[in-house]
Parts: sequence; structure tokens; C-alpha cells
Amino acid sequence: MKIVIHNSSMQPIYEQIVDQIKCGIMNGDLSSGENLPSVRSLAKELRVSALTVKKSYDVLEQEGFVVTVHGKGSYVASANQNLLLEEKKKEVEADLEKAILNGRKCGMSEKEITDLFHIILEESIC
Amino acid sequence: MLKLNNVQKTYDNFSLNCSLRLRPGYITGLIGPNGAGKTTVFKSALGLINVEKGEISVLGKDPKKLKSIDKQEIGVVLSDSGYSGYLNVLDISKLMQNFYPSFDRDVFLKQCRQFELPLQKQIKDFSTGMKAKFKLLTAMSYNARLLILDEPTAGLDVIAREELLDGIRDYMEEKERSVLISSHISGDLESICDDLYLIDQGKIVLYEKTHVLLGEYGLLKVSEEQYQVLDKKYVLRIKKEPYGYRVLSDHIKYYMENSKDIIIEKGSIDEVITMMIRGECL
Repeated sequence: MKIVIHNSSMQPIYEQIVDQIKCGIMNGDLSSGENLPSVRSLAKELRVSALTVKKSYDVLEQEGFVVTVHGKGSYVASANQNLLLEEKKKEVEADLEKAILNGRKCGMSEKEITDLFHIILEESIC
Repeated sequence: MLKLNNVQKTYDNFSLNCSLRLRPGYITGLIGPNGAGKTTVFKSALGLINVEKGEISVLGKDPKKLKSIDKQEIGVVLSDSGYSGYLNVLDISKLMQNFYPSFDRDVFLKQCRQFELPLQKQIKDFSTGMKAKFKLLTAMSYNARLLILDEPTAGLDVIAREELLDGIRDYMEEKERSVLISSHISGDLESICDDLYLIDQGKIVLYEKTHVLLGEYGLLKVSEEQYQVLDKKYVLRIKKEPYGYRVLSDHIKYYMENSKDIIIEKGSIDEVITMMIRGECL
């Protein structure tokens, strides 16, 4: 599992860890049942405090991606692909909404926005 | 592991009045300007000075009543090493072996070689960096449950500091060990401490978990007009600047969502210290 911390980003470090572990689960780098590193060892690896990692694991557990068994550590919960896809979809929805709002703000018409949307959609086939 | 409750100590023009707590498995940092009372806290926790009021408990005991068997559970780095400068590493490892039954000489010497310490050179001829590494290695050489480290990285260059911090990180991989550490270099503390106490003029001015401090604290830079309309719900400290105001907040997310066009910077320990000590309250 590879996690890269961006220290000067506005996004809190624990969120960065949460996002990257989720990504790992989604693209199959982390399979269900796989053990996550212990809080201390991940903290050591990333050079962040152990409580930061703990917080990330807690968030992941609350959201159902990770299960923590006392004394055994944390591992990836089974079959959460759907949950993740759902979440990604929500993100895309929010991004689109933002783009539309931005367009309206500078006076673009619905037509202009949809045209632009289609142009970008075609251009970015890859 | 360690608890100070309303501990008071007065010197001629300094008085300490502080409470703090070190939990099992935590690395807790103590930061503050020179003369803020950090060393006094360390000394009182170790029972090296008499305090006037308050309770101290170290590993569940009064520090004055610690027996030698209890002291084997505590590793200490203070500004002075306490070893005679005329001894070398080999001499001291023999001494340690007699002091501490759980001291492992082979491991210790291996670590000394790893940190490139000359084994047969007198300590007085060591460089500052060598002395600092040696002090930390001895403190960590007998499986102590509690480490009390007063500025272990003082005077070290970036690379030596990183090595030393890695040493502490390795040490913490064993369960139920705790570290109380002070440093002037906030970068050290940001990357290693779980929680932090900020001390100034003998008093604790702030206690916060490191990830909260780095994630939720921040600076807003606002002009005079922006300041007038700013929602001051989450403002901790302000400071007048030529361009308007510099504002310390512990809820930058709130401002990121609600106040447009304000310059917001993520918290750093340095900024928080300067603002908490030099800034004004509302």
C-alpha cells in the first residue's frame, strides 16, 4: 500500500490517509480481509503522529471500510465496492454542480453549459 | 504514566503552575519559549526539585518515593549527560550493565555503531551531535516504559535529528511505552507527538492533539474591512498587521466554507505558538 502525504495541502493529513486507503480499496490494491499496518508502524512510515493514523482508521471504520478487532489490528472490510462507487458518484455530482453554478455565475446560458459539457466529454475520451 | 496536578513552584522571578498528563502509548510534547518552565516541569516530574503545592504521580507513584526498581522503568535525557567526560562508551556500557538488569550490552553497542559513535573515545571529546545521540541511546537502552526527554534534539543538524526521531519512533513500536518530549524545533514535534502542551510563563496556555492543531487550526489574513464583518465565533487570538489583522482560529473549515476571499493558511506549531503568546484575546 502506498500513501503519499502532502504536508502543505489544506486537506488535513488524516483525510489524506483516509482518501488514499479508500482509493486503494477501490482499485483493488487492498483486497477485503487484508491487514492494514499497525497504527504505530504506519505513523512511523509516514512520519506523522500515531493519533493522526488512529483518527484515519476510526473514520474508515465508521464508514464501514475497515474493521478493527481489539488486539488484532485493522483489516479491510469485505465487499464494499458498491459503497465506494456510490461515494465516488456523489463526488462527481458535487463537482458537476459546482461547475454549473460557476457557469451560471458568469452569465452562461443552459445551452452554452450543456454544449461545453458535451465538447469536453468528447475531447476527453481516452 | 505521568500526571501533574496543579503543581506549583516559585523561584525569584518565576512561578510555575501547571497540570499535565501523559497517557500510556502516547508521545506528548511540551513546547514553549525559553524560560517558559519546561525544564522545571521535567525536574519536578523526576523529583529533582521540591514543589510547593500540587500532586505529581510517575508510574502511579510520588516521584520522591520511587525506588531504584521503579527508576529502571524510566529513561531520561536532560541537558547535561551526567556521565564523567573521561569515560568512553565501553566504560559506560559496563556501568549501565551493573545499574540496570535489563540493559542489553550487545544491542546497545550495536546501536552505538549504527549511530557511528566512536566506542573508545572519551565523552568529553564528543561533538554535540554525538553527545545527544549517546544520551538518547543510553536512555533507551534498558526497556524503560517511560522516557522523559528534555530537548533531545538541541543543537543537532537536520539529518541527525531525523535519525534520532526515527530512534524514538522505533522505540514506540513496543506497546505501552510513553514519551514526554520537549523541543524548540516545532517540525520535530509535528511529526512525532500525539498531543502537545504549550507552556508560557509557567502556565499551560494550550493543550491540543497534534492532528487537530495541524488540521483545524489556521491563520486568517484579513483587511480592516473584512475584519469588521468577520464572524468572530471561532477566533482565538488576533494581531494587528500593516494590512489589517492576522487572526488565529481553531475552526478554519468554518471560515473556508463561509467567508469568501479571505486568505487562509493551515496551522503550524510555530504560528500557533507565536499567536497564542504574542497575540491579543478578543
